[in-house]
Amino acid sequence: MQRKIVEFANLLRKSGLRVSVAEAIDAFKALDELEIDDREVFRDALRASLVKRGDDVPTYDQLFDLYWSGFHDNLKNAFEQAAGALAADGIDMERLLEQIRQMLESGQVPEGEVDLSDLARALLTGDLSELEQMIRAAAAQSGVARIENMLQIGFFGRRTMEAMNAEGATRELRDLAARLRAAGMGDAEAEAIGRLAERFFEALRQSVRSYMERELQTRNFDYMEKFRREALFEKSFYSLTEEEIARMREVVNRLAQRIKNVMSIRRRRLKKGKLDLHTMLRRNMARGGMPFELVFKQRRKDRPKLVILCDVSSSVANVSRFMLQFVYSLQECFTKIRSFVFVAELGEVTQVFQDHEVGKAIEEALEGGGVINVYTRSNFGMAFHTFWRDFLNAVDAKTTVLVLGDARNNYNDPKAWCLRDVHAKAKNVIWLNPESPSAWGFGDSVMDKYQPFTTLAEECRNLRQLSKIVDKLVL
Amino acid sequence: MFDSVQEVQKQLEKQGYICDKRIATVVFLAHRLEKPILVEGPAGVGKTELAKVVAAATGRDLIRLQCYEGLDEAKALYEWEYSKQLLYTQILKEKIGEVMQGTKSLREAAERVGQQDSVFFSDQFVVPRPLLHAITTDEPCALLIDEVDKSDPEFEAFLLEVLSDFQVTVPEIGTFKAKHRPLVFLTSNDAREMSDALKRRCLHLWIDYPNEADELRILETKVPGMDRKLAQDLVAMMQRLRQVDLKKTPSIAETIDWARALLALNAESLGEEVVKDTMNVILKYEADIRKAQQELSRMMAARPAAPAAPAAPAPAGAAPAAGTAPAAGAPATPPKKGTLH
Repeated sequence: MQRKIVEFANLLRKSGLRVSVAEAIDAFKALDELEIDDREVFRDALRASLVKRGDDVPTYDQLFDLYWSGFHDNLKNAFEQAAGALAADGIDMERLLEQIRQMLESGQVPEGEVDLSDLARALLTGDLSELEQMIRAAAAQSGVARIENMLQIGFFGRRTMEAMNAEGATRELRDLAARLRAAGMGDAEAEAIGRLAERFFEALRQSVRSYMERELQTRNFDYMEKFRREALFEKSFYSLTEEEIARMREVVNRLAQRIKNVMSIRRRRLKKGKLDLHTMLRRNMARGGMPFELVFKQRRKDRPKLVILCDVSSSVANVSRFMLQFVYSLQECFTKIRSFVFVAELGEVTQVFQDHEVGKAIEEALEGGGVINVYTRSNFGMAFHTFWRDFLNAVDAKTTVLVLGDARNNYNDPKAWCLRDVHAKAKNVIWLNPESPSAWGFGDSVMDKYQPFTTLAEECRNLRQLSKIVDKLVL
Repeated sequence: MFDSVQEVQKQLEKQGYICDKRIATVVFLAHRLEKPILVEGPAGVGKTELAKVVAAATGRDLIRLQCYEGLDEAKALYEWEYSKQLLYTQILKEKIGEVMQGTKSLREAAERVGQQDSVFFSDQFVVPRPLLHAITTDEPCALLIDEVDKSDPEFEAFLLEVLSDFQVTVPEIGTFKAKHRPLVFLTSNDAREMSDALKRRCLHLWIDYPNEADELRILETKVPGMDRKLAQDLVAMMQRLRQVDLKKTPSIAETIDWARALLALNAESLGEEVVKDTMNVILKYEADIRKAQQELSRMMAARPAAPAAPAAPAPAGAAPAAGTAPAAGAPATPPKKGTLH
């Protein structure tokens, strides 16, 4: 049992859950206190001691089912099938086994000659849990831990059967039949034993196969999950499918939550400032004005104001989508957010975000938010000029201006001086470009014209890069 | 006290707390292994309540420590009673003079004071706060550390010592060790993730919204005298509402509030009007109310045994979001009064 729990803990670890040794020990202790014949209780006890995050519970549940349940049932099924098949041939397996056992025990067969292997013995006595352990041991010996894909099931299955010496056991059973006949058993029964051996072999083979399948599933369970998650982080925004966008949304939410947590800690740390003499004296009145309790002024970290300019043309839409989601999930980290969308025209969509919840607002903003026409060709120059003309007063010394766009200007006038003026007024101008820096300034890209007027210009092509920039923005 | 998981379940039920086996198992284990339980889950599913009923079921006193930003040792563990110390020094001035008599040098005087200083730093001047109280109390008790996620990370680190050894060190006096290990509950709303070190020392319990049958039983225990059919409808509706993507998903606390409101209003069935009027008991955001109303009118229309036959055509046209929002706001007060009295 202990080995199984350790192995299960290892499995959980492999799936990305953090399980410490102390927690595995707790699991042992917990099981000591309980009657573990109740499956639910067993599951709950292990969960309470091994899994400490709500997010991990679904993973745990799935793995628990894969690991703890089933195999014994599989084994039972296989042998019940064997019994069924024998019954169809007119053989009552239970009675036959009983008969064999009696003959063995009563010593009708000369003792020295009956030298059955453990496997054969377990088969004859129908000891399924013993069988289960043998299969597990043999499977471990065959190196099943290294199983990686479906094609290897046959290979490891064979090796496991060899490790258990299944054929040997079958042979032994046949020999036994011959000997029992010599000791006075009827022909029909002796033949039935032969059949029995065959069926048992088949049942064993089936069980081993299903064991291999389960093993493959458990080992690969989170491997695949993790792989998908990792891939999502690295995947370029250009090539997301609908389903991935949905998953990505979740990931962004989680990241935002994490940043919020970090923020709250940081802000608290900044709190202690100078001694606040006034409040201190008042608070220490009770002690005759003796400053027993020190009171400090609370220092505030000023939260940035944010102005976002999003290119919503199809080429950059996804970057804009996730950036907007990020920023609005972190609303409380900013004093004020004003968002603008542009393709050639530029319009403000701040109101859209006030009227709708974030997800819907983003979709609407990407459609132009009712203020601009998105079905035109990108013109950064025109967009910046509009911003400079109409909204320059939105920018002050506390404002960070965030521009999302590929700077592919379709050979229009870039009007970089508009950005220069914005840059002069703002605290920071950050430009996120989904293209890699090597492409900046080539073809119709005018990134090189804009770059001098940015505090920071970065490539932002996938979630990892995006989250790094958001980190920088708020911290 | 508790001999089996079933026993726990029964005892808690006697206290009016309906719980599934999962909760009972963890409580049982915590009791047996003397480990703290970290209870997490959405707001209003009965995390704090669990601590209360377990304390009641085991006949222990419940000591509660509410966490908040800026909570420090002085407020959680112990504090020196400065003013009392000051007062005593004043009163004992003469006595101190006596003690000091015959000292020739400052050094000697300081030494003599030094010999006496333990008087002023003794149990007498310590104000025990919840944690110290829980450890030094003579009777076994239950300790509830509520909303531990609201506390600062430093405080969390400090909790580690208390939770693993159940002992606290007061530098001037010494170490207090618990006579009886208290039954500790930590609750968290997941505002921030707790550190691994803390989690490792606790059993973890995730309480989720109950399933329909359990919720119905909870409702029947908490709000007796409610019409069974009405209770069923109400619970079904709550279960459905939780599927909707809302800012603040209503939990059991809201179910109970709602049931009480309906009872106070003498509502006999969950007609559309009633629901519309009392929606604000369960939903706390205007946007949520709007969203839920759309969902509910859809649900009402689909309900096979709608109590009022003419209700069916109404939701189709009469419940657009904009029209109903102000209507929901206006009659807001009567049900609330009903729940508050």
